[in-house]
Amino acid sequence: MLEKTKNIAKQILEEKKADGVLGLMKSRWDIVQPHVFEKPGELDALVLEPKWLLAKLFMSILRSYPEDYRLAVICRGCDERALIELTKRNQIEKETLLTIGIACSQEQAAICLCDRPYPVKLDAGEIASGADPFQDERVREFLIGNDKKRMEKWANVLKRCIKCYGCRNSCPICVCEPCKLEDDVWVQRGAVPAEMITFHLIRAFHLSDTCVACGACQEACPVNIPLLYLQLSMRKTLKEKYGYEAGLDPERKSPILSDFFKEPETGREYPEWINSLRGKDGY
Amino acid sequence: MANIVVFLCRCFGEIDNTIDFDLLRKELSKDTSVSSLSIVDSLCLETDIEKAAFKINESKADRVLIAACSILSRGNLPVNGLIKEGMERHKIGLVDIREGCAWIHNNDSDGAVKKAKDLLNMGISALQHKEKSEDMSVTVHPDALIIGAGPAGLAAAASLAKTGFKVNILERANAPGGMLRLISQLYPTGEDAANKLNPYIDEVENNPLITLYPQSKIVSIEGYVGNFTVQFASQGKDNSIQSGIIIIATGAKIFFPTGLYRYGEIRNVITQMEIERQFLKGSFDVKKTVFIQCAGARNEERPYCSTICCPASLKNAMRLAEEDPGSEVFILHRGIMTPGNVLEKYYRDALSRGIQFIRFEEERPPRIMGDDHVESVEVYDAVNGITRKIETDLVVLSTPLVPNDDNARLAQMLGIEVDRYGFLSEIYPMHPLETKMDGVLICGSARWPVASDQAILQGKAAAMKAVSYLRQSEIAASTLSRVPGPKSGHARVVPDFCTGCGNCVAACPFDACHLEKTKGRYISKVDMMRCKACGNCVSVCPNGSMQIPEHNYRMVGEMIKWAF
Amino acid sequence: MGVLESRTQIIVREVKMNQPGILVFACKWCGLIGADAAGKKRVSLPARFRVISVECAALVETDAILRALAGGIDGVAVLGCHIGGCRYTNANHASIKRFELLKDLLDTTGIGGKRLLLSFGTAHEYHQFEEIIKNFFDELAVLPPLDPWLSPFGVVS
Repeated sequence: MLEKTKNIAKQILEEKKADGVLGLMKSRWDIVQPHVFEKPGELDALVLEPKWLLAKLFMSILRSYPEDYRLAVICRGCDERALIELTKRNQIEKETLLTIGIACSQEQAAICLCDRPYPVKLDAGEIASGADPFQDERVREFLIGNDKKRMEKWANVLKRCIKCYGCRNSCPICVCEPCKLEDDVWVQRGAVPAEMITFHLIRAFHLSDTCVACGACQEACPVNIPLLYLQLSMRKTLKEKYGYEAGLDPERKSPILSDFFKEPETGREYPEWINSLRGKDGY
Repeated sequence: MANIVVFLCRCFGEIDNTIDFDLLRKELSKDTSVSSLSIVDSLCLETDIEKAAFKINESKADRVLIAACSILSRGNLPVNGLIKEGMERHKIGLVDIREGCAWIHNNDSDGAVKKAKDLLNMGISALQHKEKSEDMSVTVHPDALIIGAGPAGLAAAASLAKTGFKVNILERANAPGGMLRLISQLYPTGEDAANKLNPYIDEVENNPLITLYPQSKIVSIEGYVGNFTVQFASQGKDNSIQSGIIIIATGAKIFFPTGLYRYGEIRNVITQMEIERQFLKGSFDVKKTVFIQCAGARNEERPYCSTICCPASLKNAMRLAEEDPGSEVFILHRGIMTPGNVLEKYYRDALSRGIQFIRFEEERPPRIMGDDHVESVEVYDAVNGITRKIETDLVVLSTPLVPNDDNARLAQMLGIEVDRYGFLSEIYPMHPLETKMDGVLICGSARWPVASDQAILQGKAAAMKAVSYLRQSEIAASTLSRVPGPKSGHARVVPDFCTGCGNCVAACPFDACHLEKTKGRYISKVDMMRCKACGNCVSVCPNGSMQIPEHNYRMVGEMIKWAF
Repeated sequence: MGVLESRTQIIVREVKMNQPGILVFACKWCGLIGADAAGKKRVSLPARFRVISVECAALVETDAILRALAGGIDGVAVLGCHIGGCRYTNANHASIKRFELLKDLLDTTGIGGKRLLLSFGTAHEYHQFEEIIKNFFDELAVLPPLDPWLSPFGVVS
């Protein structure tokens, strides 16, 4: 997989399809760091491990480089989904996005609890089958079970929060400036730990239809709050009700933005419990 | 902090006997933003409003809080009265302490007074953060554009010209008249279709205010009410018109039932339009005829009744019986639809002339027998349960009206919707002939299958609705609310904060938001003529840069904070 | 009253003493009519609810609902018009989808999706409004209290 990726990247640089390729480099003293490769010779130091999420770095590099710089990126499944979500939100131009897709191994998928450990545009590596997060023990403790016990469990975990904003800063989708989490109408200023309902649930709900489950928030959290588990049931609902997964289709916008005729629930006309005036045959 | 004057209305004791006003007065006097508090007996009479306005001017306060009954009963009277005296709408707040508090908590006065205190707190904090939204107005082009020159379009044009407005008509064919040109006589009077149509065609040709563009094809439509720009090509020449409103009268088309009842396979199985064409040429000779109703309608694919085919069959059947008294006519039906007293009499006339009616079921349709031309029809009579074989020379199929093929394209150009069958849909629930876009009206069979008399009536009605827009010289965006009273505001975006995500563009039901690229970033802009302040864009905006100023998030947050 | 204090602590203290409190967002065209009709008929309702009137249920932001729950309010009700009956052409469809997803999130964390009541098209008669409010109070009384989620540690300055 590494050789094939190196060859593809070299080809891109030689054919001048892009001015630089963003990937991981193993430099002196075996230190791994992200690097923009501009000459084909540099690609000998390319590595693909460990898992390093490059989507947010891609955005900030593009902002500081000159405007006509074309950047290609080596990305895993979750990276590519994040980049496609960003193109849907008009932060990246779709035509200039060039990706080299690599697949994650089964071990990596088990660590990340990912059920789609490969990008849609796959260039190197083999597709692994992925892991179902709802089968994992730790996830089940937090998401399934007695209501009262779960509420106390979540409250105990969330009260460790020191309001470092690491989760928001590392999320590839979060681009809003100013952010609602810094507004004193919603989130109390100077309150530590962060108010649980307003800070965490506002953040979780704003990402409900765009979260790509990359796990960057969880990895960035210094006190080990399982932030990824907050999103899992909403992603499952969107998939079951509307057949929608964030980041798969660059043409389809989130289904909760449109009405029932443009984005109906699969297999049903209207939700059952709602009293509706228009019956099956229209009025 | 704003200076607020508070009026508490006792409503002649209705509110007073449950809620202790002295307690309220004591609590509110501790509030630093309340500059004065008055308790009055009533606020809805004219003298009360004058006194209140005087007091407000005297105390030089900027905002007013009124605690009285609900806005749906008499609470809007002081609000509107103060606006007439010169106060601005966003500086007046109304709190409901009668229907919302005193009358439903009449057995719990402690709870009621606490609730009144909290509601007043919410009202005060709401007033301090309410802002005013912008408004724009557009000069109205006093011309009308009608698309389609069938009976509906011609009637609309004649009415508009009579009222004195200039009318342009775009017609797809090379002569006006629509489907009425292909019909010989009309029901129930039996008059010639040309008689009905000719006065309107004369009006169109002779009236200098009406211009007809035949053979035209629409290229694009842009703009909003008061200022639509339509580009089209007519008789080979490109052209562009500006108009204040658009009336759509494009009509519908007949459904040709290929495959049903062996239509197209053997001879002498025809549709109603073909028999009309035959009548237009002159009478013709046929001894036995069978009409089959609901051919291609009221089934799973098109579960609607097309309203005009049953009376049309009766008309043609009676004409055949009249021209040749010895001929036999059968009508096979699944229920004859002739509502009203005129059409009911028409039906009884048909019965008395010897036309025979046989009812069949949907699951057992009649079968056409014959090799290269029709010889007989076999039908299972559902009323008396026997299968009858009828010898016939001609079979006429009554087919429904179906929407035009380019309805969807026209609707998309204008920004209006089509319903599940493909006809143009009007807004629900209360505004007949109006569509989602202000200034676009629909009438005639483009909206739903109707006969020509109804189409003419709808055309005239649409013309009158159009006059209500055209007679104004300027339309302000805040008056386009479709109810008495102005809109509650317009959505407003702070351009520096907008990330350009496009959520508002996707969520707006009126297509009022669009993205513009400035300095490498996308920023959303709101078209105030289309915005109706529903608030969808506000809820989907990720960082709150889109707000409705009269209901912004700071106001809501403060109201929630002081709610209990 | 004009002084901005740390309201979360005060609200937590008050709610602990009394029965549950509800915040109702009523749409001006359907929900408010039900509330008004209940008033005209003089039905008796418990006093612990407050009504905020909005133009359309689509105007209710999910962040406002979360802010209300964080402030100690036990339940939030959103009253809107029928599907197909919204006078802003189906603006309430998207809001229904959004609120159902929010119910999911509240269920996940154990707060309970039951604390958010959605009633679209069933609150414009006085007895319907009465039923909805009374049933909501009964449901909220049996739910476990929100105390572990409210901020007990106060303000660090």
